Amino acid sequence: MSTTALSAQETPRTSSAPARRTKPVRVRTHAPLTPWLLMAPALLSAIVFVLFPFLNTVVLSFTDARPLVGGSFNGLQNYRDLLADPMFWIALRNCLIYVVGAVPPLVILPLLLAMLVRKSVPGIGAIRTAIYTPVIASVVVTGLIWTWILDSRGLVNSMAQWLGVISAPIPFLTDEFLLLFSSILVTVWQGLGYYMVVYLAVLANVPRSLHEAAMMDGAGPVRRFFTVTLPAMRSTMLLIGVISSLAAFRVFSEIFVLSGGTGGPGGRSSSLVMLIREAGTGLSGRLGYSSAVSIVLFLLTLALMVVNLRLTYRKES
Amino acid sequence: MFTRRGLLAGGSLAAAALLGGCGLRPTGGRTVASGPIATDIELEGAIRFQTWNLRSAYLEYFEGLIDEFVTAHPGTSIDWVDQPADGYADNLQVDASNLDLPDVLNVAPDLALPLAQAELLLDLSEARPETLEAYTEGSVADYSDAVLGTTFAFPWYLNTGPIFYNRALFEQAGLDPDAPPSSWDDLFDQADAMGDAVDGAFYMIGQLPAIADLGMYGVQLLDERGERFTFNDERAVQMVDRYRQAYERKGLLPDATVLTYTDAGERFQSGQVALSGGSAYDVANFEENAPDLYANLGITEALTETGHANMYSQGIAVSSRTAHPEVAIAFAEFLTSDEKQKEFSRIVDVFPSTRGALDDPYFTEVDDSDTSEVRVAAAGQLEDAVSYTPPIWTEEMRVELQRQLSDAVIGRISAQEALDASVEQANRLAGVSE
Repeated sequence: MSTTALSAQETPRTSSAPARRTKPVRVRTHAPLTPWLLMAPALLSAIVFVLFPFLNTVVLSFTDARPLVGGSFNGLQNYRDLLADPMFWIALRNCLIYVVGAVPPLVILPLLLAMLVRKSVPGIGAIRTAIYTPVIASVVVTGLIWTWILDSRGLVNSMAQWLGVISAPIPFLTDEFLLLFSSILVTVWQGLGYYMVVYLAVLANVPRSLHEAAMMDGAGPVRRFFTVTLPAMRSTMLLIGVISSLAAFRVFSEIFVLSGGTGGPGGRSSSLVMLIREAGTGLSGRLGYSSAVSIVLFLLTLALMVVNLRLTYRKES
Repeated sequence: MFTRRGLLAGGSLAAAALLGGCGLRPTGGRTVASGPIATDIELEGAIRFQTWNLRSAYLEYFEGLIDEFVTAHPGTSIDWVDQPADGYADNLQVDASNLDLPDVLNVAPDLALPLAQAELLLDLSEARPETLEAYTEGSVADYSDAVLGTTFAFPWYLNTGPIFYNRALFEQAGLDPDAPPSSWDDLFDQADAMGDAVDGAFYMIGQLPAIADLGMYGVQLLDERGERFTFNDERAVQMVDRYRQAYERKGLLPDATVLTYTDAGERFQSGQVALSGGSAYDVANFEENAPDLYANLGITEALTETGHANMYSQGIAVSSRTAHPEVAIAFAEFLTSDEKQKEFSRIVDVFPSTRGALDDPYFTEVDDSDTSEVRVAAAGQLEDAVSYTPPIWTEEMRVELQRQLSDAVIGRISAQEALDASVEQANRLAGVSE
């Protein structure tokens, strides 16, 4: 086949023949079908790996399904169970605490870091790399490192006890709220570098003339930060706020690793995703209940996103 | 003719029907006919055999075993696959959903029961009733279900464990290392005494009680029919209250509220906990990874108020959809035979499940090896050991019990409230709630 194609392209013109204007080749495009054909691979994968599992989850949430033995429709029973399950409310509370605890530092601290490291001074590349390194590390690995640091016999407690600052270990990983706080710390520590790079890119686009004009008006560094830099960063900050709040609401790895998979004492530091995993896995997993929690999490995430976008739109307009 | 709303509703119903069972109940395929299956014929066919995290340590044993079987039955071949320890249940679930279970597979009772309920495992009480007589009654009971009326695996190796304790820590706490706890109540008394003496420098107990511990304390775990959980009686409350007291008096490690079994073992090795359960398998581990502990290691009998120690078992099941049931059964019988189980027990510190195997001098006489004392003690326990953890006990039930007990020990709720909530949830998950 390739030979045929090649032959067609390389058919020599006879030198004696007069030069002719070649007619443009008309390709039958099947215009109405072409876009679908081009989209087919992406569309197919979206249907198989996104749409179908999503619809299946919605349907399963109305059943008492379990692996291997199937199930039958049970109406809204899973949703009723969910509302009556204290663990659901605890997990929801924890997700909200996570959003409130993790999002503001993830919006503000990377900006401050970006301001600090944007200047070209010797060794700044190494500092930027050091700040960015946690981003490329696995959450599980960083979680384990932080476990060793925060454990009752870990680095922090051992040092503090050795210095005589504390008499008994601080229960970073065994107190429900301290465990959440520790997880938030890991999330923030790991996310700083990523958002710092985003801010650095935007900072580079802030016109220098604005700063110069402000300086001529007598504005100092702090004033220039609030009157020039911050307004230029507003849309980026809102974007980072949206992204990080969605991620924080669906937190799993940090709490899971720091609590050794237990969700803290009495499971009171669990998140909604941990609840989904716990109920839905294993040969006796409650797929129906787990799907119902997934759907509620989806709706809550969607609501959070809509609120965020509306706020963004209102502020920008 | 059709309204848009009608079409939409119809389409939704069709989609729901189509999607509702998707990936849940494995259907189709040919099932082995019920009834006796003879293996004294010329065996032919290729089968797949799956073990659970055994390849790296016991490659030579299994390769030799497979070679021996295939040499004895030239028409057969065995494809051995070994799955890692983590995610074994998930792998089984995927294989089962795809109707692609290995012909012969290594299972534990809690993994085998859901597969048997889905009719994915061969009923060996019908296929090979005479073979089942070769195993101890308790081990067969582990793989039998009264409701289903089937036996869904041949018992393979068993394990049980004495109690290990750190003699040096006992001495530091002013306790007699030659008089370790001999009963649960003795353990709690000594835990309180240790807490009073060392004030949290180290602790006697490293983890919260599991369902098997409640059983060994004499709590009635299930009703007479074996269907409904009942571990919220007075005896259970008494045990949890003793744990709470130990927590308050620093006899119980505070981190126990969030520790897994493995974590608790690590705390014992690091000298933060003075006493831990275990098995003969652990001694070599202590020698290699915790030489200080190994030098001060004390061993005593498992604590039980019922007269029966706890037992863990592994089984070998045969898929009900195997294309070569005769070969699969013959290989499963060969693997779990008295001779092969004894061979395996000499390589790894586990115990055979065949009748009379524990009378072998290897399990009754102490020799010069490091593990022989523990091995003999454990084998003695196994004579009348019981598998306390019911096969219907799932991971979700375990997590719920740990959470409730954690709250009770901290003092957030009472022991009775914690146990009532655990029992209610366990019965609901088992599908037997009111």
